[in-house]
Formats: sequence, C-alpha cells, structure tokens
Amino acid sequence: MSKQVKMGILGLLLVIPSFLLLFVIVVIPIFISFKESLTNKSGGYDLSNYMYLFTDKLMRSNIIFSLKVTLISVILVLIVSYALAVYMRFNNGVVVRWIRGTYMIPIFIPSVIATYGLIQLLGNHGWISRILLLAHVESMPRIIFDMKGIIIANLWFNIPFTTMLLGSAMSAVPDSIIESAKDVGASGLRIFFRFLLPLSYKTLLVAVTFVFMGVMGSFTAPFLIGPNAPQMLGVSMEQVFSVFQDRNLASAMAVFTFLLCSVMGYFYIQSMIKDENVRPQ
Amino acid sequence: MFRKKTAITLMSTFAIAAGVLSGCGSNNAPANSASSNSAAPAKPTEITLYVTSSQNVKDYWDSIIPKFEQQTPDVKVNLVFTASGTGSQPTYDRIAAAKQANKSSGEIDIYEDNLSYVTRGQKDGLWETLSTDKIPNLSKVDSATMKDIANMAVPYRSSAVVLAYNSDKVKTPPANLDELYAWIKANPQRFAYNDPSTGGSGNSFVTTTLYKTLPADAIHSSDPSIEKQWDQGFATLKDLGKYVYGNGIYPKKNQGTLDLLASEEVDMIPAWSDMVLDQVAKGQLPNSTKVAQINPGFNGGPSFLMVNQLSTKKDAIYKFLNYVLSPEAQTVVVNQLHGFPGIQISNMPQEVQDSFKGAASGFRSFNIGDLDKEVNKRWQSEVAAQ
Repeated sequence: MSKQVKMGILGLLLVIPSFLLLFVIVVIPIFISFKESLTNKSGGYDLSNYMYLFTDKLMRSNIIFSLKVTLISVILVLIVSYALAVYMRFNNGVVVRWIRGTYMIPIFIPSVIATYGLIQLLGNHGWISRILLLAHVESMPRIIFDMKGIIIANLWFNIPFTTMLLGSAMSAVPDSIIESAKDVGASGLRIFFRFLLPLSYKTLLVAVTFVFMGVMGSFTAPFLIGPNAPQMLGVSMEQVFSVFQDRNLASAMAVFTFLLCSVMGYFYIQSMIKDENVRPQ
Repeated sequence: MFRKKTAITLMSTFAIAAGVLSGCGSNNAPANSASSNSAAPAKPTEITLYVTSSQNVKDYWDSIIPKFEQQTPDVKVNLVFTASGTGSQPTYDRIAAAKQANKSSGEIDIYEDNLSYVTRGQKDGLWETLSTDKIPNLSKVDSATMKDIANMAVPYRSSAVVLAYNSDKVKTPPANLDELYAWIKANPQRFAYNDPSTGGSGNSFVTTTLYKTLPADAIHSSDPSIEKQWDQGFATLKDLGKYVYGNGIYPKKNQGTLDLLASEEVDMIPAWSDMVLDQVAKGQLPNSTKVAQINPGFNGGPSFLMVNQLSTKKDAIYKFLNYVLSPEAQTVVVNQLHGFPGIQISNMPQEVQDSFKGAASGFRSFNIGDLDKEVNKRWQSEVAAQ
C-alpha cells in the first residue's frame, strides 16, 4: 500500500464520525420531512401542502412576516455589531474596557429568561413605561406582542456573537494599512468602506448566515412576545404540528424554512470555495 | 480513484450505522428484562406517571411523590411532565400505538388527563377497570362520578374555568355570557383571553361562545356536523376582537392573561380557578382578585388518573393511587394546588369543607373530542388573523 492510499484511508476514517452524525441527525430527517411534506390527506403524493402553504392567506402572511423580521433583524444586527467592533478596534480606554467586559453577557442568559425580562421591561405596564410616566409621557408604542418586540429580542440574542466574529476580523486588519490610508488623507467613513469592509467581507458573510438562520428558526421569543397573527414560521410550524396535528403541512413548512436557510448557506459555501481556490498553492 | 473512495465511504457508513443500530437493539433487551424482574423485593418497582398540565400541577406531584415513596419504599414513581395544550395527544397516541403493536404498556403506567381522554380510552379499550377491593380509598369518591366513567379512572382533583376579576374596578361581575359581552364592549381593552390553542381557559371562553346558542347536549358530542353551527359564535368572537386587550391581542398560555391581570393591564379574564386561588395565596395576584362563575358555566371538571391496562406493575400502581386518594394527599390538593378535592368533601377536614362552600359548582364538562382541533384552527384563521 502506497503512502498516498494510507493517508487517504486515514483521512476517510477521520471524516466518517462527523459525516455519520450529520447523516443521522440532519440528512435522514430532511428526507423524512420531505417525504411527509409531499403526502396529501388521502395518503398519496402531490404538492397540495405546498400549494396550501403559498396560497392560504394566513400562511402567506406568516412567510412574509418571517422574512420581514429576519431581514430587518439582520440589517440592524450588522449595523450595531460593526459599530461596536470598529469602535473597540480603534479606541482604548474605560468605555472600550466596559464594552469588552459586558457585551458577551446576553450569550450566558437563557433565552426564556431574557424574553420574560424583555416583557417586564418593555411591556405596556413595564419598567420603561412606568419611568416614562414619571416624565409625563402617557402613551408608549406597543412593543411587546408586536413585530418590534421580536426584533428587539433578536438584537439581544444576535449582537454578542456577531460582534465577536466581526471583532476578530477587525483585529486581523493590519495597523499599517489604516495608518497609510490616514496619511494620504482618507476620511474615517472612507477607510471603513474601502478597507475594513472588504477585508472583513468573508466574516460578514458568515455573520449574515448565522443571524439569518438563527432568526428564521427562532421560537421562544416570537412565541412569547410575537403577535397572534401573523406568526413567525417557527411558531406557526409548532402550532400546525402539535395543535392542529397536520404533520404533512408542518413538514412542508419545515422544508421551506430549510430551503430558505440553505440558500444562505449556498452563498456562504460558494464564497468559501472561491477563497480556497484563490489561495496560492 | 474517486469512485473507489466513495464506495469505501458508503460501505463503512453502512457498516458503522448497522453497528450503531444493532447496538441500540441489544441495549434495549436487558433493560426490558430488568424492569419485568423488578418486582423482587430488593429493588423498588418503578412506575411511570405521565402528566399534562400547568406548572402548579407539576409542583403538586413533586411534593406528593416523595411523601408516597417515603411511606412505600418498594415503589418508585417516575414523573414525566408535558406542557399543557400540546402534550396530551402524543402521549395518548403512544399508549394506543403500543397496544396496537403488542408492545405492552409503552412504558406509560399511569396517565393523567381530562374526561375526553377517559372516554376515548374506554372506546379503544386502553384503561384498566378499577375497584374498591384493589384501591380501598376509591370508596371515598362520589359513586355517581365513578359510574359516569365506568370505573375507568380516578378523579383526584377538580378545577373549573371561572371569571377572575379585579374587584376594585368591577363591583358586580357578569352573571351570564350576554352580560359579559356587554361588559367587554363597555370597557374596551380591559378584558383578555389567551390564545385557545395554548391553554384551557381561553379555549373554554371560545368554546362557551361557540356553543352559546346550540342545544345543551351538543357540548358532549364530537360529531363534525356541528361545526357548521359555529359561524355565529366565530362572528361574535371576531367582533369582540376590537374590544379585547390591545384591540385583538391574545397572550400565550393560561399564565399570559393572569400576568396581565396581575399588572392591572386588564380587569377581567377567564382563568382556571386553581391557578387564580394559588396565585392570590402566593401574592402573585393582588388580594382584590375575585372569581365568579357565569351561568351556564365555563368548562370544568375533574382531572383523572387512568391506569394503562397493559401495565405489568398493577400492584405498585394501586398502592400509589390509594395514596393519592387518601385525605392526607387530598389536603395537599386543596392547600397547595387550590383545586377541589377528588374525594367527597365530607371525607376532608372540617376547615377544608368550610372553605369550599358554594365555590365548587356551576361549571360544565365540555367533551367535544377532536372538534377542539377544528376550533383552534378556525379561531387562528378567522379571529386571530382578522
């Protein structure tokens, strides 16, 4: 046996455990759901569940609502996280030390507790409205049981990790580049769009993928603080599955959600592969 | 080369998968034989209790089971708790599927749920018939109740959906549905009921409205032809949407509306009597909170414990059920769970008898079976999404 074959076998052995895990907990369930989603009421196979998913008024509004929440969340998370990461990269002092020490806290708070915390804080009779009342502000926009509440919860859940990702990308940008750009008179914004953004583009893509999938698949926060209708896909899926007990429709929703997320995954993997090929051998 | 690699990958995948799967199989075998042998005195018999309810009921079992195990060292009770609204159907399906597949009890020995599951299991032949010579304390239960359910289950606690209201704001509570609707319209945004698919109190408000003009015995029928007569009720609910909390916000779960009552965002809600009384006692709801039943009443009735006919551990189960019906355990139902006791009230200590004068009456037992699913479905598309 040549050395190359031996190495090949070793490589395979190393890959097999993770592949198997992936196969059993991801690939097989996807196929089962896909098959379920094509099963109609009378046991035959057709596209009736998907037809219902895209033609029913309620379902369609759920899909649009989920996409809207996800899109807004992704954009807001990126803006805030970039601002934090850039600020931490180029400044020093007490404020930066405070941000560094505290921005990870949301990761360590269980999501149910954080969600109830948000309800207590932002609810109609919550802390904020009580404080505002002291300042004679009588009415507050409805945040809990509304899309705004879900988006705020998503910011809370996603900003820490995204900031961490972007922060590491920022620290990989050499000082010399920034300094030489400054020397020839580039403004702060220009440095950001011409250097920082392109240099952290790959991490940005990773962050977008993670936030998109996280928000799309979220359940706890939208269940507890979302409106009754339209619902996020995760909440609606749970309701269709365990309350209406329409397993086939729930599967169709799951497959659709999976497709949405895999589109994001596709772009992400594409750019990774491109990057691998560009690298000098 | 590439093909060879793929072939090797696939083959090893199958080999390992087969190994893993057969490993699972052989692990199961000794576990099964162990449980059937466990009647031996050295090791306590383990019985599994499945409960579908709210947190307060879980707290109740968490305090009852250790007391029982202390008194009866040869029986150990495993509690499996599933959240209200979603847990019952899958558990029932599991028992039924295990019977159909001849796989004995499906590891579920005792199952707790409401009347509809007692009657369904009776039809499907899933429950064991219980008698006083096996469970002496069963004689303390009202014999009429036991006759209704053909001795198929043990009613161990009761509760009912009531109107919970803030008595500082509401002096005289509505006495019937029409007065309630009038109150809701006269006090916009001060009434809330929860999403009916997430808890029984909102569900009961919805069902009571749907069956308002229907014949009295319709609430015991699961005949799908009744569905057509719901239209008027759904129209009412849709119309009420403009007047309820947040112009059409229905919080999730039974606790969701109680939270609104506690923060004084609303003044009246339908709620489970035991949850209200419990939370008033703990100070989570203000002392001004009072309860009232309307006429005809909301849904209510006992919760039952059913014994899986195919369980192999009947002796241990009967010991446990006998303890649950003892005045000692029933006092915990009253004091901790704030439910109505399952045994006749004359068996209870005098102070318990006094505290329930007039409170535990007026509710109706709805038993509409699978139609409940349709209620939730239509509510979601016609009322929530208006």
